[in-house]
Amino acid sequence: MAKRSVLGLYTEEDSAADALDNLREAGFEEDECEILTGVPYPEGTFGEAEPEHHLYRWPLIGAACGFTIALLITAGTELAYPLVTGGKPILSIPAMAIIMYEGSMLGAIIFTIIGIIFESRLPRIFMGAYSEKITEGHIGVTVTTDETRTDAAETALVKAGIDGEIIRGWE
Amino acid sequence: MVTDPGNRVIEPYVETDNSAETRKAVSDGILNIHTVTSNRFWQFAALFGIMFVLGLIGFVMRLSSGFDDKGAWGYYVALFAFLMTTSSAAPMVAIAPRIANSHWRRPISRAAEIWTLAGCLNLLIYIPLIWLLPSLENGRRSLWFYPDNNAQNMESCWVFCWGGGVPAYSPHIWATLAILGLIVLGFALLWLSILPDLAVLRDHGAGWQKKWGRKLALGWRGTSAQWNWQYHRMGVVGAFYFMMLVFVHFFISVEFLMVHVPGWIDSLYPITHAHNALQGGVATVMLTMFFLRKFGGYKDYIGLDQFWGLGKLLLALSLLWFWFWFSSFMVLWYGKKPSEQAVLELLVKGPYLYLFITIFLLVFILPWFTMIWNPVRRSVWGPPILAVSILVGTLLDRIRLYVGAWDVAEKSEMMHSMMHMEMEEVPGSIPSLGIADGFVIVGFISGSVLIFMLATRLIPAINIWERKEMLLYKAEVQFHRTKVMVMGKPR
Repeated sequence: MAKRSVLGLYTEEDSAADALDNLREAGFEEDECEILTGVPYPEGTFGEAEPEHHLYRWPLIGAACGFTIALLITAGTELAYPLVTGGKPILSIPAMAIIMYEGSMLGAIIFTIIGIIFESRLPRIFMGAYSEKITEGHIGVTVTTDETRTDAAETALVKAGIDGEIIRGWE
Repeated sequence: MVTDPGNRVIEPYVETDNSAETRKAVSDGILNIHTVTSNRFWQFAALFGIMFVLGLIGFVMRLSSGFDDKGAWGYYVALFAFLMTTSSAAPMVAIAPRIANSHWRRPISRAAEIWTLAGCLNLLIYIPLIWLLPSLENGRRSLWFYPDNNAQNMESCWVFCWGGGVPAYSPHIWATLAILGLIVLGFALLWLSILPDLAVLRDHGAGWQKKWGRKLALGWRGTSAQWNWQYHRMGVVGAFYFMMLVFVHFFISVEFLMVHVPGWIDSLYPITHAHNALQGGVATVMLTMFFLRKFGGYKDYIGLDQFWGLGKLLLALSLLWFWFWFSSFMVLWYGKKPSEQAVLELLVKGPYLYLFITIFLLVFILPWFTMIWNPVRRSVWGPPILAVSILVGTLLDRIRLYVGAWDVAEKSEMMHSMMHMEMEEVPGSIPSLGIADGFVIVGFISGSVLIFMLATRLIPAINIWERKEMLLYKAEVQFHRTKVMVMGKPR
């Protein structure tokens, strides 16, 4: 079934929070509702679910890959060309540390950039229900749901005291 | 507010400016300044553009002279080091205070981040240096593994023999990757920071700015998940930028400077170079703030708080300059080894003595003896003047070190016996500044400024979303018989 999205705009934070409560009471799931703002409010300001992120996975995996490759390169080269320098062991960690550090950094950077692109879910081709007032300072509450349930969503949004009309959009 | 007959407040109250109207006023206020481009802007842009063209001419002249005469490249390498010390380090002014949740940095963090775009120019300048840097084949000093005889352990040779031997270009490969990594991180940091403001341009901009805002905002809507993603990613990318910046300066100071001066063995110098970058970066942003306030129309946004906050940082970094310099100097001076005496003779006591004294005054003495006074530090004119002093001093310092080092590197016989240098081998004079060098220095510094100026036509020079965020955390509250401003922290 086609998805539709509806948007209610609010000027007060408490009204937006009330709208979310109304939507929950009307049976809408957390993943159907979103808060749109032009400012990064502290998490939980509107009683919304805390977004999940996999922040540390990407850099950590990247750093581990980079470190491993750098370790193989340095250790492998030193073993392939065994030169004793100043009486130090063939596999000397201080000498290997520079490349291992850079390898870890480069791996972490590459994976972080990939993670940023992947997790951003951008570009978003269809904006759905959206209003330019959000970047002005209004707070938007959107519901993305089946076409048959948009009326119930609109009722819940209006009940919290929206500013202006309900805005509808396609997903 | 409720008061008793004695006019004393008996009920506490809190007042904030956070309303939809105020948030709109913040957006409109910055956009109104951002969308107007004055004639004076284009006059300065044309001036810097002409100088940048001269820089490109100097660049071609320098390239056409070839790489055999390494001494002739000293000023060019000094320019590269200077730009890496200033424009590439400027984003740290946005990164460090943001991690520390400082509010005073909000109006200036964007200006600091825009300097990452000058990284493109630094990369262009760096490319010829790959050919200039000697390989490891001549037995020069290096951090890198390189066996002269290429004796191979055939059992381990299945993958690590690199087509017959260890590559003689390890410094080139790793330094290039590190510099590329820094530039990519800078772009990522800037993109993450400007996404919400591009959405503002998309929604409320006009003309070409609206068009580019639509293209570059990529459908940003400002969902809680998007803000969460942006906040955490900016933190990670910022931290990586700092780590990579220090590492890049480690490479530059070792591969393009210390290894070319026989006897210069100083484990502290790479971090001294990185410290100089932090000082230069703060000075760059200080000067940028001043011009944005004076000529950019942002007088109401960039105020005393910003100059005061950054001024304290600049004073601390200027004092550290002496600590780093003296720590290295006393080891060489007390050591009294002939090779170390030769290094001091080359870089401090010999042909560069007057230059060194000037640098010492500009980078340390002048900032120290002026910034300790409140009337200077707590002003909008004092710190920028000192920033000019520090930037000029840093440029001269880079010239002193890099021109001196490449002058020594030029003597090819020394390249084969770099562990030894006798006192009489120290050059007796400073190589003269050629036309190409002059063009390159003036032109590429102007080019960096030009890139910054042009970028501010698309990207708002003041961070709109961070200014609006400030409204959430600022409140005026009653405190006994007075009112005080309370600043909250986001998380």
